[in-house]
Amino acid sequence: MGKTRIENRIRRLRFDRSEMTQQELAEKVGVTRQTINAIELGKYSPSLEVAFRIAHALGVSLEEVFSYREETDEETRSEPRTKRP
Amino acid sequence: MSFREKSAWVTLITLIVLTIGFALHLPRPWTLSPAPSPFLFHVLVAAIVAFVAIAVIAHIVLAIFSPHDARAPKDERERLIELKSIAVAAYVYAFLSLGSVFTIHVGANQIGVGYLVLLSFVVAEIVHYAARIYYYRRGF
Repeated sequence: MGKTRIENRIRRLRFDRSEMTQQELAEKVGVTRQTINAIELGKYSPSLEVAFRIAHALGVSLEEVFSYREETDEETRSEPRTKRP
Repeated sequence: MSFREKSAWVTLITLIVLTIGFALHLPRPWTLSPAPSPFLFHVLVAAIVAFVAIAVIAHIVLAIFSPHDARAPKDERERLIELKSIAVAAYVYAFLSLGSVFTIHVGANQIGVGYLVLLSFVVAEIVHYAARIYYYRRGF
């Protein structure tokens, strides 16, 4: 599966907040550490509710954590669309 | 590795080992006696009891080493992984169980077909847990 077009700054924001670990963020959000890792790496797009909880746990707005990257025409032709849950 | 991934590994390995052990005792479907075999019944019961016992003991051990993970409810990614892997296994079960019924046309008797349907279910479960591990390893 290719990466989704939803990008995130979770890793950067975690380090900005006293180097919060994935486990600490996972506990605040109520998911597993593996799920936070999958989201950080762009392998899994979280539900809107979890996305809001991540933003809340990091103390920023949703837009500061997640952004939606528009595909270029070339990317659209070369990469199949990623299925999202 | 999360508790649920370890759990999937334990279940997968237990299923594979016991299925191979059971299948080695199983004659070819067309050589089975039309009457139920007490020996095969005992092997089947032993395999089921062994599966439950191994799964329970292994999960207790896993829970002792990671109690926090074991108590935590499944999150949304884990639930989706479960659903996706069950969907894959459902296709396998449908294909194999239908195939089992067709063996009646190549000489298998009712008892043989019954055991083949049972094996179809077990193979589908093996695929189910293998798919889970695949999705856990891949991220989603």
